[in-house]
Amino acid sequence: MSAAFVQELATPEERLGIEVQALQFAYNGAPVLVDINLNVAEGEFVCLLGPSGCGKTTLLRLLAGLDQPAEGTISWNGCAIQGPSLERGVVFQNYSLFPWLTLAQNIELALSKSHPQHDKNWRHKHAEDYLARVGLAESSGQYPSLLSGGMQQRGAIARALALGSPVLLMDEPFGALDPVNRAKLQDVVLDVWAKPQKTIVFVTHDVEEALYLADRVVVLGSSPGRIIQEIIVPFGRPRLRRIFKSREFGLLSERIDELFREDILQRIEADSGHASCREVN
Amino acid sequence: MAAFGQSTPSVSSALSVAAQLPATKNARPKSTNFSWPKVLTIQGKEGILFIVGIVLLWQFVSTSIHFSGKYLFPSPVLTTKILWASLPELLLGTGYSFLILLPSLALAISLGVVWGLVVGTTPALSRMFSPFARFASPVPPTIYIPYAIALLPTFRTAAGFVVFIGVFWPVFLNTANGSGALPQHYRDNARILGLTKAEYLRRVVYPATLPYIFSGISVGLVFAFIMLTVAELFGASNGLGRFVQLYADYADYPRMVAGILYTGVVVWISMEVLERIKKRALFWLK
Repeated sequence: MSAAFVQELATPEERLGIEVQALQFAYNGAPVLVDINLNVAEGEFVCLLGPSGCGKTTLLRLLAGLDQPAEGTISWNGCAIQGPSLERGVVFQNYSLFPWLTLAQNIELALSKSHPQHDKNWRHKHAEDYLARVGLAESSGQYPSLLSGGMQQRGAIARALALGSPVLLMDEPFGALDPVNRAKLQDVVLDVWAKPQKTIVFVTHDVEEALYLADRVVVLGSSPGRIIQEIIVPFGRPRLRRIFKSREFGLLSERIDELFREDILQRIEADSGHASCREVN
Repeated sequence: MAAFGQSTPSVSSALSVAAQLPATKNARPKSTNFSWPKVLTIQGKEGILFIVGIVLLWQFVSTSIHFSGKYLFPSPVLTTKILWASLPELLLGTGYSFLILLPSLALAISLGVVWGLVVGTTPALSRMFSPFARFASPVPPTIYIPYAIALLPTFRTAAGFVVFIGVFWPVFLNTANGSGALPQHYRDNARILGLTKAEYLRRVVYPATLPYIFSGISVGLVFAFIMLTVAELFGASNGLGRFVQLYADYADYPRMVAGILYTGVVVWISMEVLERIKKRALFWLK
């Protein structure tokens, strides 16, 4: 792996944005995340990449304030995160929209919290605008259960936009979509990120998706979840899908695959080590 | 919140059947070249045939077998004639019964839903109210009837009270269980949006719990009719239960059987109306 486009960020410089320091999280006594130190600069697009069960969704929930860490601190622009806030919009893998509300009503509910000073007509008009922005202008009166998975996720993105949050946290939002819809939604996210500039933390297990979207990819290992490497993505913007065919892209993908393989091997060795210890005992 | 449903043997056993949620689709056979009248589609073809069979058997037994107590067993033809003749009296009785039933039903559903939502989403209240609910909800509501009649000033208030008890517990228990078991993703979304407790209850918990609430109301409605007719057997001067009791006292069994049949139809239509409301309210369920 050439050092030219992979940088390990062992000591990230002090900067505003999201700061995670010495974070630990356990569930029922079992460690889920250990020793997480992570900085996401304002306006940066960071992907948390890792295999299933590595704790990346847990880390996102902690960033959202939906859970609290056992140890360590998380802050946004210097203020400790102690619970959910309109500053951080979240798009979940599924179920971001309430099924008993139409798309427009879902967005209007978000607007009623982010813009409480405005009346119902204003909210309805702006809900339509947000839906148009994600390509759902014709579907504002539809209920989520009648929409495809891709359309539901577009609606979820529109709702996050309506919250006016400077930070968007996205938890494998396109995990259940077909490749064509996934590609379309990735471009919607890039558009949303750029205008106006937002900070995005995006969880995925898809290497291609991470390298297409992110400024920086944080690779997590599992059992327990921890950061094994941070990779600055060397491709410029606007990013075109032809990067998938480039040599750099292939090398980066290989490097990440290798990191995962090493992680799995370490786990297997650690497990067999424990097993032999037990046998000796 | 599972504690609410688990510890109420008599009521909750009925509830547990009703709370097989969310059962919104009827798997009924569809015929391409023949359609049953809409009102009959609940039973489907087999259900109608079964009822026709029962009526034929009833007609056959009541007309062909000679036994000493035959006057106790009027034929369906005779019963139908008497039912038709008694219809004005029965309709008036229905009116009286519903004057007691509807206000109690409305009050019990309102209080059961509001209190159930609050208790189901407030752990401290749940811990406080749960022991009392465990004790009070399994008491068969019919047992209150003689005491309610003695205690309360009029028959209407006494009957209204026992109907209230019969409806309140199933509605409350189902609502509390449903809102206590609210899926995590609804809670997460509400927190992300920064909803206040009141908004959370009204915009999220209430609609999400509606399938449970309707299960509670279905059970409660049946209880309401049981309570009311039993109370009317005890001491009413009019109403459906009173109609049956009066003609039993006069040994006018054809009229009594007609009253029983008519009451069955009223309950059935009420359940059908509830089912329609439920389907409309739960349109968003796949």
